[in-house]
Amino acid sequence: MTNQSALIDRRSILKAGAAAGIAGLLATPEPTWAASEKPIKIGMVDPITSIFAAMGHSEIKGAKFAEEEINKKGGIMSRPLQLIVEDGAGNPGTSIDKAKRLVAREKIDFLMGTVNSASSLALSQFANQHNMLFLCTGGHVDALTGTNCNWNTFRTCSTTWMLTAGDFETLFDKFGKSWYFITTDYAFGHAEQADYEKQLKRHGGTMAGSALAPVGTTDFSSYLIEVKAKKPKVLCLLLAGDDQVNCMKQIAQFGIDKEIAVAGALIELEQLQALPENARYGWWTAEWYWKQPNTPHLADFVKAYRAKYKGEYPSARSWFGYASTYAIKLAVERAKSLETMKVVRGMEGLVLPPEVALQPNAPMYRAADHQLMLSMFPGHVLKGAQYPDLFDVSSIIPGEKLALSPAAAGCKMTYPS
Amino acid sequence: MGLLLLFNAFNGLIQGAFYALMALGLALILGLNNTINFAQGAFMALAAYFAFTLTPYVGFWGGLIIAPLLAGALGLAIETSLIRRLYNRKDPIYTLLLTFGLAFIMQDMIRTIWGAQGKPLEIPQFLNQPLSSTYFFLTGYRLFVVGVALVGTAALFGVLRFTRIGIRIRAGNSDLETISALGVNIYLLRSANFVIGIVFAGVAGILAAGQLGLNPNMGDALIMPAFVAIVVGGVGSLVGSLLGGLIIGLASGITTAFYPAASEVVIYIIMGVMLVVRPRGLMGQEGLFE
Repeated sequence: MTNQSALIDRRSILKAGAAAGIAGLLATPEPTWAASEKPIKIGMVDPITSIFAAMGHSEIKGAKFAEEEINKKGGIMSRPLQLIVEDGAGNPGTSIDKAKRLVAREKIDFLMGTVNSASSLALSQFANQHNMLFLCTGGHVDALTGTNCNWNTFRTCSTTWMLTAGDFETLFDKFGKSWYFITTDYAFGHAEQADYEKQLKRHGGTMAGSALAPVGTTDFSSYLIEVKAKKPKVLCLLLAGDDQVNCMKQIAQFGIDKEIAVAGALIELEQLQALPENARYGWWTAEWYWKQPNTPHLADFVKAYRAKYKGEYPSARSWFGYASTYAIKLAVERAKSLETMKVVRGMEGLVLPPEVALQPNAPMYRAADHQLMLSMFPGHVLKGAQYPDLFDVSSIIPGEKLALSPAAAGCKMTYPS
Repeated sequence: MGLLLLFNAFNGLIQGAFYALMALGLALILGLNNTINFAQGAFMALAAYFAFTLTPYVGFWGGLIIAPLLAGALGLAIETSLIRRLYNRKDPIYTLLLTFGLAFIMQDMIRTIWGAQGKPLEIPQFLNQPLSSTYFFLTGYRLFVVGVALVGTAALFGVLRFTRIGIRIRAGNSDLETISALGVNIYLLRSANFVIGIVFAGVAGILAAGQLGLNPNMGDALIMPAFVAIVVGGVGSLVGSLLGGLIIGLASGITTAFYPAASEVVIYIIMGVMLVVRPRGLMGQEGLFE
């Protein structure tokens, strides 16, 4: 009998708890929009799980930060903006499934997202079939705004060519002619290596060797044995996400970074954070960095972002999410319409204003291939540095100086008649 | 080329010892608990995160001891509250599905508590360097991992051979009904066995994190080689699991010398060949899953 009453007690406590929880949810302040104002919906497919999760979370945080800011300032054409996020798990199939759901169930107006190249290519095609604007936040493969460019696809992050061009000459002059590549075995890595090889050839360098590592490789020791045997001047790491973290740790454990210059195209703040102090080294390119002396509005942005996310510093990924969300807002306002073709025309040639660009140059979505001409930040990882100041930017190069021309990149844009 | 091959073979054996350590816990649980514990990888990750949280207070060594025990305690709770209910269903698919779901829940729990951002697990500096510049792949830490694998295996075999509980576990492996009829509390025995298996997973997880760092998905990458080691070595045989781990480590090491891109695939090829040629594995019992 006592048992039973204890059970009832527990149940009522649970019920009370649930009720309190629901009440809490309902009590979150609603934005002060008139009920008639239907929100403009951006569907965001980005990895919340998988090896790309850390970067996906940063992009989502950046986008949510922009959503909040935009809504506080009156929304888009006095309609509220609503960001709906789905987990694409870094997988093209899953990303398409989630995009389908966003289109069918949420009736989204625009699609954006994805950290990795394969998913970005898949979503670009999906959006093309659905006559919808797709703004790629973070997949780098050249083809997306090159040979596979679509009239309705834009991209905020750089191309792999821009990443490799950003630091190639510095590395080549500083460390030497013979290079060895450890490359992630999918679109992103293949594209990066092809771009470096092209530049290496042009400058008379040599390939000491290369190895493809499957996505999710955890043990790189056998690759590194091969690297040591080939004695290259530069070990070029073209890995993504956690794979790069694993490889850099093992390089440090084996002491290879003290004998061979380790470099690569892309480094992300998320990766540097995941590394122990002794494994932070090398020459890389960042696509954006939170610390740029003299860049207007940057300090305010970093401060507000940190206030929202418990002291966390914005990464390049956070900026992709932030800038992409704003880019859609600005394009819609330029087009004064939600119609895909009009917004596409609004985004072509759109220059990000300083408070969104947050870099010294004024990046523009190039009309001919829809690629944002964002700046590149080549530099090196500071020895013994502590979070968040982990990277020393040696120069900020305007994107249009590095990017291939749309014709050279292979983009022939065709529009539906 | 000869020297390179030797390097890779040796390096593969080191990796294999690590696979073996992971496979042992899994094999133990598969044996007496008749559970294909898909959550083993998640337990590894969880123990590693526990160690990460504890390290500032108790150091790396303290974490290496306490965190697996905490994971073991959680394992005990899960075994007694969930897995135990499914023992009577003979088909292992039920526990497989349960632990498969648990793996997802635990992974998301880790992501919620510690965040999606990868984190480094600092290991003592003296372990973190190569012992010689020729044999640069022999770092103190990797030798330490091999040492732990050897000691852990020896301890496990000692327990199974010489202690009462170990003898009961082995007896239960071959005939659970009979030892139950002889008055052994098989529920308790299975709980104890499950906890030992999880503690093993915990140690392996922390050691892996020391080399690879922490991220919520780390269990996914670790669990597959452990499964393959068991299938190759033979389901139901601990010695087999040990052997299986070493074999796939070696094979993966040697493959890298010739064609690195296939170094991950080769272990699955070995598993496939084994399943066709000798389905019970090198040392497995016949018909355990029939």
